Amino acid sequence: MATVTNWIDHLSAKEVAGAVYPGAGSSETLLVILGIVLWIGWHVLTAKSESEKLSRLARKRHSANDHKSNITEW
Amino acid sequence: MTDQLGALTTIFTEFYYWITVVLMFLIHVGFCMYEVGASRYKHHQHTLMKNTMLIPLVTVTWFFFGWWIYWAFPTGPGIAPSIMNESAALITDESTFSAKWYMPNTEFMAINLGDHISGVFWAAFLLFSWTAASIVSGAIIERITTFAFGILAIAIGSVFWTIDAAWGWHFDGWMLKILGYHDAYASGVIHAIAGGFALGVLMVLGPRIGKFSSSGEPRNIGPRNPWLVTIGLFLIYTGFWGFYAACNIPIFNLGPEYGMEGVTYWTATNIYVTPTTLSGITFNFLMSLSGGLLAGYWIAKGDPFWTYSSGLAGVICASAGNDLYHPIQAMIIGMIGVVIAYKLHYWVERKFKIDDAVGAVAVHGYAGFVGLVICGFVLNGYPSSGYSVGAMWDGSTYASINPLGQFIGAIIMFVVLGLIPGYVLAKILHGMGKLRIPREVEIAGLDYEMLESAKSDEKAVSSATR
Repeated sequence: MATVTNWIDHLSAKEVAGAVYPGAGSSETLLVILGIVLWIGWHVLTAKSESEKLSRLARKRHSANDHKSNITEW
Repeated sequence: MTDQLGALTTIFTEFYYWITVVLMFLIHVGFCMYEVGASRYKHHQHTLMKNTMLIPLVTVTWFFFGWWIYWAFPTGPGIAPSIMNESAALITDESTFSAKWYMPNTEFMAINLGDHISGVFWAAFLLFSWTAASIVSGAIIERITTFAFGILAIAIGSVFWTIDAAWGWHFDGWMLKILGYHDAYASGVIHAIAGGFALGVLMVLGPRIGKFSSSGEPRNIGPRNPWLVTIGLFLIYTGFWGFYAACNIPIFNLGPEYGMEGVTYWTATNIYVTPTTLSGITFNFLMSLSGGLLAGYWIAKGDPFWTYSSGLAGVICASAGNDLYHPIQAMIIGMIGVVIAYKLHYWVERKFKIDDAVGAVAVHGYAGFVGLVICGFVLNGYPSSGYSVGAMWDGSTYASINPLGQFIGAIIMFVVLGLIPGYVLAKILHGMGKLRIPREVEIAGLDYEMLESAKSDEKAVSSATR
């Protein structure tokens, strides 16, 4: 996985390769796919939990000032 | 990097953009404080989290596709040919500034010893994206779902503003060639588009409960924490210094760039690669800020909320031409923008029952639009680019700055890429039942559960004696 194993060899090469992250040249597309999956997954999970929270709270029909009773010390 | 002077120039440029990113971070801190200060107690934490979460949402999408769009779309596509490859197609070929290098899976979108600029330049543009999304965020507080806002933030932050930047804020953009569009510090490409987008969303979202009386008279829902609003706006002012600096290229040799044989001319340039100076734009930034504050204090009769916002509106209005204006021109333009934006805000509020909670549409949208139009008159005849000068509508050369081109540009920014997409996306989200929180939740407060869950601990703490 290591792209560089010896800096002296790397920097004295005829043409220094710029990309030095692990898996350079072979893993980028896979990483992008993984990133997209995580990104979509996050949206699905948080959208679901927000919907549940809003429905639960809406069912309780609190008045506009009820929240004040939850604040015990200003 | 093998020669010291070249290395110094590169590292200076890298550090320059890096500093602008740090400064622009304060814009977001300011927006968060400002929004929380403007919201009511029972919505505070939701308001804060909504704006905070746009950071990762826009950042990740900016990495995946936003940055690519900027480099791919200057030609339209299909509207005017690129000066790099003379094709009007998407720029995805092998040319130096092709979008090809900014796909998320290329080696330039990572640590690369041969590239010191891509990351910091990407980040500077990303911070503009956050600003665009954050402008929308303030207008719609206390009644939008976080899910809907996330989608809207991605749309404005990683799609629509980057399209407008490719068209009108890129040295190869078709709007410069066809229209002579000029917008050095983003009156239109950030502010007018975000203001227009916010207005489109507000038209569908509707006002907060209680904002309008049964007879339709608007009620004032003033900021709940004026000090937080004050600090927030001062931080936005501070961040704008970074914003202005980030719109420049700090050091560039224009002689070879323009093809002038034997001429060496090192200077700072604006985003269009035409010369300006950081020193000169500092005059104009401060004078337009002052013009905005003076006009805002006068027209709002000393109201602090509007006076602070007007300082920002003054800068925004003059921004289109602040690379070339005289400081007193910048001040007067800032004043004009503020008066028009303030008057329009209240007229639109009454006439169309639009509840823009923080005046974002006015400060960014109307002031930005007006700034573009004024720029067309004041800078009429200046070249929109250094590469060539040609006629309007030609497309193969660059048109000069002119009033009609700037007016059309303002319409493209505010309406075509701002208001219409905002309205359509909000309609879709509304149709899915995902746009607005339930009425009962709005009344109870978005933070109700959070406050309730902490109640027993809070009670114990408040009655504790040791």
